[in-house]
Order: sequence, then C-alpha cells, then structure tokens
Amino acid sequence: MLQIKNLHARIGDREILKGLDLTVNAGEIHAIMGPNGAGKSTLSYILAGKDDYEVTEGEVLLNGVNILEMEPNERATAGLFLAFQYPIEIPGVASMTFLRAALNAHRKARGEGEISTPDFMRVIKETSAKLNISTEMLKRPVNVGFSGGEKKRNEVMQMALLQPSIAILDETDSGLDIDALKVVSDGVNALRSPERSFVVITHYQRLLNYIVPDFVHVLSDGRIVASGGKELALELEKNGYAGFVQDAA
Amino acid sequence: METSDPMGTTTVLRTPAEETLLKRYPAEKASLPGAPAVASLRDGAFAAFEKVGLPHRRVEAWKYTDLRANLRTIAAPAGAPDHGRVQALPPAVPGDGARRIVVANGRVLADLSDLAGLEPGVSVRSLADALTHADAAVLAALEPIAEAADNVALAVNTAFMSDGVVVTIADGVRLERPIEIAHVTDGETAAATAVRNLVMVGAGATATVIETVESTSAAAHQSNIVTMMVVGDGAAVDHIRLQLEPFEAVSLTTLTVSIGANARFETFNAALGAGLARAQVFARFTGAAATGAFRGATLLSGRRHADTTLVVTHDAEGCESRELYKAVVDDEAKSVFQGRINVPAHAQKTDARMMTASLLLSDGAEAYAKPELEIFADDVQCGHGATCGALDDDLLFYMLARGISKTEAEKLLIIAYLGEAIDEVHNEAVREMLIHRIEAWLGKRVG
Ligand SMILES: Nc1ncnc2c1ncn2[C@@H]1O[C@H](COP(=O)(O)OP(=O)(O)OP(=O)(O)O)[C@@H](O)[C@H]1O
Ligand SMILES: [Mg+2]
Repeated sequence: MLQIKNLHARIGDREILKGLDLTVNAGEIHAIMGPNGAGKSTLSYILAGKDDYEVTEGEVLLNGVNILEMEPNERATAGLFLAFQYPIEIPGVASMTFLRAALNAHRKARGEGEISTPDFMRVIKETSAKLNISTEMLKRPVNVGFSGGEKKRNEVMQMALLQPSIAILDETDSGLDIDALKVVSDGVNALRSPERSFVVITHYQRLLNYIVPDFVHVLSDGRIVASGGKELALELEKNGYAGFVQDAA
Repeated sequence: METSDPMGTTTVLRTPAEETLLKRYPAEKASLPGAPAVASLRDGAFAAFEKVGLPHRRVEAWKYTDLRANLRTIAAPAGAPDHGRVQALPPAVPGDGARRIVVANGRVLADLSDLAGLEPGVSVRSLADALTHADAAVLAALEPIAEAADNVALAVNTAFMSDGVVVTIADGVRLERPIEIAHVTDGETAAATAVRNLVMVGAGATATVIETVESTSAAAHQSNIVTMMVVGDGAAVDHIRLQLEPFEAVSLTTLTVSIGANARFETFNAALGAGLARAQVFARFTGAAATGAFRGATLLSGRRHADTTLVVTHDAEGCESRELYKAVVDDEAKSVFQGRINVPAHAQKTDARMMTASLLLSDGAEAYAKPELEIFADDVQCGHGATCGALDDDLLFYMLARGISKTEAEKLLIIAYLGEAIDEVHNEAVREMLIHRIEAWLGKRVG
C-alpha cells in the first residue's frame, strides 16, 4: 500500500526528515509517536504534497506509484487522506460547497458524473450524524467558528465521505473530550477494512485503546528509531522517550 | 506632449485628444439640447475643462489614472443607434424584474423602454426634454455637490451631455420594482457618449436603481456617464452599477449623491468591463443620523485598468458610513482605489469605516490603494485599512488535499473573497448575475 524509503526532506536549509523508512500494508493500522518537533507533521505534509518542503532523497510509493511527483489533489483522488493537526478555517466558502466539490473531484477522477443533490444530502446526513456534526455547523463556512474538537470531528467526517485507501491522522485525538474521542474512534473503526490502511500520529496511548494499532513506531529526529506492537505504546507511556532518543536524558 | 522652459515652469501643449475636444465643442454646442440657461452652463463647464485639459498624473486625484497619457484619441460623437441591435442585447440582469429604460448612444429610446403603468408618484423623463423646456427643478439639480465641483470628467459631461433619464420619486412612495437604466453604445466604429441622469427620491421613499453599461460590439467606445442622486430625509435607496463593456471600451462613470437625515443609501459598483475604467463616487451626508454604504468589486485581467475614486463627506452629525472595495487582479492589469472620507468639525458622532483589499493573481498584476481620512471633529469613530496579497497557500493546500483541483479551489476562494462585498447587495438577481459573471471570468483564466 504505502512504502516510504529513505526519505530526506528539508525546509530552507534545515533538514527535518533524515532517512525515514516505513511500510504500511493494506488493512494495517500504524501508530506513530514521538517527541514534539520530531518531524511527524512534516512527514504527513510531505505525503499529502505540501510544497514548502524539499525532498532531497528517497521515494514514497502509493500502490507502487511514486507520489512525490503528483499534485496534492491527485494524491487525494488516488486515495490518500490527511486529517490535519490544525484544520484551517476557510472564511466565505460554505461547508456544503466545499464537501460537494471534494466529493465531485473524487468522482471525476473515477470517471463518474457529479453527485445529485438528493444523493449528496443523504450521504452528508448519514456521515455527519455518525460524527455528531450538526446541520447547523455545516451551514457555516468551512471550520469557521468550530471549536478545536469540532474541527477534528469535521476532519474525520471528510475522511468518511471521501473513503480513502490510506488515511493519515495527525493528532486527531488532541483537543477531543472523552466522548468525542469515542465518537472519532468509532468513526475510524467503522472505516476499517482489509483494503484500507491508517497511519495514526498521536501523543497519547489512550487513543490506541480505541483504535488498536498493528504496529507502533517511534519517530525521533526525522527517523523511525523503534518499531513494535501495541505494547510499545504502553512502554512509552510508562518510560517516556528516554530510551529511544539519544539527546533526551 | 510637454516641454519645460528654463525658468522651471511647465508649458503644456495640447494632446491630440484635447485638440479634438476643443474643436468639437464649438462645432457641436448649437445642436446640444437646452435653453440658453443650459448653454451657459455648458460654456462654463467647457471653459473649466479648457483651462486644465485632460487630467494627468501630476493632478493628485488622477495620479494613478493619467487620462492625458492614456486617452490617445477622442471618438466621434455617437450617431443614431440601431434599435434592433440594442433590443437584441440579452438582459444584463436576468430576472431582476426591473423597469428598464434604455439610453443608447446618448439618447433615451422610448420605444425600447418600459414606461407603461408608472407607479403613482413616479415620473421618468428624458433629460433632453427637460433641458429644452428649461425645467427649473432639473436645472437646479444639475449643480454638482462640492465634492464633485472641480471634477474634469463631470465638467466634460456637463459640456457635452446629450440626454439621460430624469427620475423623480415622490415623498413616501415605496417602489417595489427596481428601475434599471441600461446604457448601451451601439455601432461598429468607436463612438463617444455623454449621458446625465438625475434621480430624485423624496422623503421616506424607497427605491432601487440599477445602472448597466454595455456595448453591442467590441469597438473602442468612450462613455462618460454621470448620475446625480438626491436621497430625501428618511428615504432608503439602493444603487447598483454594472460595468459590462468589452475590454476595448473606455468608461468614465460618476455618481454624486446627497443623503438626507435618517436616510439609508447603499451603492455597489461592479467593475467587470472596459479596458480603461474610472468609477467615481462623490457623496455627502446633508442630514443627521443617516447611513451610507459604498461597496464595489473589481475583476481585472489582461492589461485592463480600473480606478475607483470615492469621496464621502460627513456634513452632518451622527451619520454612519461603510466603504468596502475588493479587487481581483490578474495578468498585467492594474487596479486603483482612492478613498477619502471628510469629517468636518461639526460632524460629531460620525462612524466611518473604509476598507479596501486587492487580490493579486499574477506577478505582473498591480494594485494601488490610497485611503485617506480627514477628520476635524473630535468625537468620532473612523478607521481605514488596505490590504494587498496573493491567495493564501495554506487555504489552497487544504482544499487540494481534499482532491479539489487548483482551478476549482482558486475559484471557490476568489468567489469567497469578493463575496464579502457582493453578499451585501440586497437585490438577489444582481447577486446571482455577479457570481455567474465571476465564474465565467474565472473559467476564461489561463493557468
Ligand atoms: N515552516 C517551517 N520552517 C522552519 N521549521 C519548520 C517549519 N515547519 C516545521 N519546522 C520544524 O520542523 C521540525 C518538525 O516539525 P513537525 O511539525 O513535523 O513536528 P511534530 O513531530 O509534528 O511535532 P508535534 O508533536 O509538536 O506536533 C520542528 O523543529 C519544526 O520547528
Ligand atoms: Mg505535529
């Protein structure tokens, strides 16, 4: 599904990713943990195609195709989804207009026609209900006036609408209250399938009780420095990153 | 052409365009409508033009829009329009339900105008008729407000005005149906027109006036349209002007308005057409506690140039004004905004906020903004702001990350950007038409 090989990336003259390797197979859930500033969000942005970063070495294959040459929207319609750590507000662009444009872009890439209004309304109603997103919220411009937790739920709702083959969730659990964490996790679990993979970036082992990962990785200083099963997360929770990070005491 | 003499004073020679105007006026004045009183008004205005010539960049109010340099020739006066071709123009604002009055090639065309069943208290006349009959009220209404008094475009219009629409709405009349003044220039060869409209809205009356400016062909027409409005005490008036001409055209439009006590006045200018366009607004609050909103949207591509120049004087206490002008500038186009709010010492409790923003879509695009406040009263709330920038990369990336193409994402963001101004237009048909035109414009953008 997703293969990241020896990925090096920089912003300006600062190297942030320093030879990162990661393979995610179909149907798997991988958790990435790691200290602040390790490069987790950078990795997610590079996968999604943000052009602030310069990839100096390595490749990223999605279903065998190098996606680093593709535009962000092409990556999205090829099945890659990023739930942003900090979802942005888009004043003046109605949520419904935005969601419909996103859905239609995916349909177009599949060679399908535009979604009809009744179909669109139905799919929005179903998906938003599952994620406790009120129709009142969807009447606002994208993310405008949403609370932190509402923005995160909105990300998961978009994921559920777009049905990606690989989803990267960047700290989707941060800022969620206990009930919302459950709602979001249920939303993710409902999408689990043998064809769909997830990369879940988090600081908290608690999330992994709800979304149970197949693998846990430690990302530190631009590299994966340790990998293991879900028990690795418990160990990190207990002992911190000290054993994995050279310069942390 | 200019030459400097050794003493350091500048001798300005006449440009070919100025020469043409200087020859045209004496040749045409006898055939221009109006009683002797009108002729002397024209003479005075023309003398004022003759003294200063076409405005150029060293005249502060025309700093960014140098007519002397940009107006190479003056087109011949427009001949009679072809009624069939004018009639065949599709309605500029479909579904606005307006009472449409057509002014083509500087003449009110009664046969194409909807003058049947005028609402009680409403009168619509031709300016040429009123001038010929030396209608005292009309002659008085031709006198410009102080803000516009020394404006050259207005002076030239006064000298050459051939016709226009005189609308009078009596006190208390609530006009449901908008009045649309459709300015059309017809003909395959470049033609010049000078049109003057007068709109007088009585106390407590309500009305919507839409002006459209169009051509039937892509000839290099030159139109100079002046609309003078008087908004009575407690009246509520919406004014919308849509510049929709092909990019070959040169367009000067001027709105002057005096706003009575407790009135509400709103104007919106859509600068979507003409290659060289200047839209001027001169407004004066003459009575206390009125509100005014002055807004506009400009869309520019190619090498077009659009100038919005606004002067608002709060000549009374406790009035509120809002100014919001937004421009989207592509290719090598140039957008200009000059806004000035005057608050004399007696205009206490004035609340005025002026904002202008330009979105530059290409490296060659230019935007100039000159917002000014001149405040002599001490108990006021006034502010202004100007921004200029490109589309936000983070917003674009978020949309792209959802699969939306760059073109579509830009379109949504640009419509959202202009939406801030357009959403305030009360007339729904106009709003829809504007969005439609913007989408079409965006569809034609390359890259
Ligand atoms: N635009 C930028 N300019 C300069 N440095 C940047 C930029 N973006 C990220 N960085 C730096 O790159 C490093 C990695 O940042 P990143 O956001 O990927 O960390 P992270 O692992 O997601 O951290 P957190 O757990 O706090 O979210 C940080 O030191 C950050 O300051
Ligand atoms: Mg991060």
